[in-house]
Amino acid sequence: MKISTFLSHQWLSFWRSRNANKSLVLQIILGIFYLLIFLEVAGLGIFLPLILKESFPEKPPIPLFTSYLIYYYLIGLLLRFQMQELPSLSIQPYLAKNITRSTMLRFLNVRSLIHIINFLPLFVFIPFSVIDILPVYGKIATVCFLIAMFALVINNHFLNMFIKRKTVNNLWWLLGMLVFIVCLKGADYFKLLSLEKTSSLIFTAFLNYPVLCLLPIALAIATFLINNSYLRSHLYIEELVSERKLKSGKTYSFLDRFGDIGDMMALDLKLIFRNKRPKSLVILSGVFLFYGFIFYPKYIATDSYSALFLFALLITGLFISNYGQFLFSWQSSHFDGMMTYNTNMKKYIKAKFSLLITVCTLQLLLASFYGFMSWRIIPIQLAAYLYSVGVNTFITIYAATYNYKSLDLGKSASMNFQGIGAIQWLQSLAISFGPAIIFFLLNKFFGFWSAIISISSLGIVGLIFQEQLINWLTQQFYLRKHKILEGFREK
Amino acid sequence: MITVSNLKKSYKGVMAVNIDHLEINSGEVIGLVGNNGAGKTTFFRLLLDLIRCDSGEILSKGLSVTKTEDWKSYTAAYIDEGFLIDYLTPEEYFYFVGKLNHLSKPDVDDFLNAYLLFFDDSILNKGKYIRDFSKGNQFKIGIVAALLSKPELLILDEPFANLDPTTQLRLVEMIKTMAQQHQLCIIVSSHDINQVSEVSSRILLMEKGAIIKDIAGGDMAYDALVDYFKVKTAH
Repeated sequence: MKISTFLSHQWLSFWRSRNANKSLVLQIILGIFYLLIFLEVAGLGIFLPLILKESFPEKPPIPLFTSYLIYYYLIGLLLRFQMQELPSLSIQPYLAKNITRSTMLRFLNVRSLIHIINFLPLFVFIPFSVIDILPVYGKIATVCFLIAMFALVINNHFLNMFIKRKTVNNLWWLLGMLVFIVCLKGADYFKLLSLEKTSSLIFTAFLNYPVLCLLPIALAIATFLINNSYLRSHLYIEELVSERKLKSGKTYSFLDRFGDIGDMMALDLKLIFRNKRPKSLVILSGVFLFYGFIFYPKYIATDSYSALFLFALLITGLFISNYGQFLFSWQSSHFDGMMTYNTNMKKYIKAKFSLLITVCTLQLLLASFYGFMSWRIIPIQLAAYLYSVGVNTFITIYAATYNYKSLDLGKSASMNFQGIGAIQWLQSLAISFGPAIIFFLLNKFFGFWSAIISISSLGIVGLIFQEQLINWLTQQFYLRKHKILEGFREK
Repeated sequence: MITVSNLKKSYKGVMAVNIDHLEINSGEVIGLVGNNGAGKTTFFRLLLDLIRCDSGEILSKGLSVTKTEDWKSYTAAYIDEGFLIDYLTPEEYFYFVGKLNHLSKPDVDDFLNAYLLFFDDSILNKGKYIRDFSKGNQFKIGIVAALLSKPELLILDEPFANLDPTTQLRLVEMIKTMAQQHQLCIIVSSHDINQVSEVSSRILLMEKGAIIKDIAGGDMAYDALVDYFKVKTAH
């Protein structure tokens, strides 16, 4: 059996998966999305020399470029860790067939290489090298530099695969790597060492002595071999999948007093913490809290309250949209059961609603510290919060009753479009830009406070009528219950 | 207990379920038999309002299952893993189902104690989530969780297929005693005609969505079923 046969099976499995060919519109949107990413990255490569010249006119572009390569390398490793998945399980059906181990190993290695993240860097490096490096250093140096960069991509790739195979719990490694990078940056900040200088030193050396490109090639081959030999000795299903630890039951006793609704919220919490995809979404919502440090100062300085409001919506309400858009789909694997247990739908939806509100409140409390930047942040975030819990929750739950796609909770969340349909795109736009536009208009024509008060009142009205709105959502759910169930049964 | 009238469900023009009239009474153990595609699982899903029928209706204690949710309080089912919450440990799952049925933790523990033999020391305190159990053990969890709610109507889809021989025999005994002592109505589907004719008080044979035989359980039923499936092989 040849590797090409494996690859063609993978190709078929991609196109024939039930989620893939459902909607043409979604395919087109995704296609455009990927095209945009490619264009942006390629554009970055082409215009990088110009951008560098514009922003740092006093510095020559090549040393500047090479001085930042180390960040690219470290952040690339981190990104890979989040985005890339081990293709191990795809060989499960073949393990007992008459296929040699080395063929399967080769397949695993080749298959893992096919990932957008391995191709994107080339779109930056090739244009930049051709435009900037070629005229200065000549053909041989340019080609060698490109080879070295590509070898580093391969090295990064297999290094990441190896670390991933070795580690049971991804999150701690991710955190460890983050801390490592922060420490490096800290050392740089306190002038203990200069990251940029070191980076420039290393990578300019590649340009001056093209022979040095053998080094990354050797490194790439080494990581490949380590990875390969590890895989060879661990080619058993149970060892390819991460190790098991003893799982202990957990109770959230503080939720007991809320009766059935509390029980279902506890169930949701377990769902989040015990499955990869929801867990990474929650972490993402947490990381987003820090975005205020990046975006708020800029808009505070220019008094752009509408932009502040948009970011406040994201910072306080991201969980509502991220978790809420799959409200029922999270439980798609056991929704048949949910619909026969001795409970009713209204309680179920109420529990979900309470969870969304609780997390959103938590996000607001944490984000209140931004009040130190400017007191205006406080009313803006409060308005965004009230609108999120009083209006956006209901819109999101309503949109979720139109989501008929099942989810695989074990898959990573980044760049994962499983279960996302046209309605989810519309919903995300409606709940972020909708209120931002209202805020913008009110702020422009009637002033800051009337915008804050109007937006907040909309949210408060939603909260006052929550009983009626939940009843209405329950009815909406029943209208599409069988369709949802049917969709969820299709894995 | 259950009244089915003029029930029809088709997929892409193929009749999956087509039942003119059917009465099921409490205390009965119904064995549902038929080849793959005969409509057994579809019928179960219709009983639980998990799919919408094209026409007709199902009454549970006189109330339509599509219009009310009253049946949920006395009906329990295990059809496949879709009825288990796979990221919970078995204990957590039992407590969750117990709570929905107003049973406290000690109540659930007491209940589980009675099933230690059935679990065969492979379910409790294993430190695993349900998704990491074998299919047979998942079935055990599903069946016991269904019983936990003290149902008056119990629906099991092919319970014998995934269980080991010892557990199969225990399940047969359990079903028999439950039906006798608690006047429980039980519907099981099975491909094992030996097992099903022993356990059932009444056997329904399905073919292409319709019930073509409605006979009493026991040895006679076994012979009748063997005859039917033999004729099918000859064709």
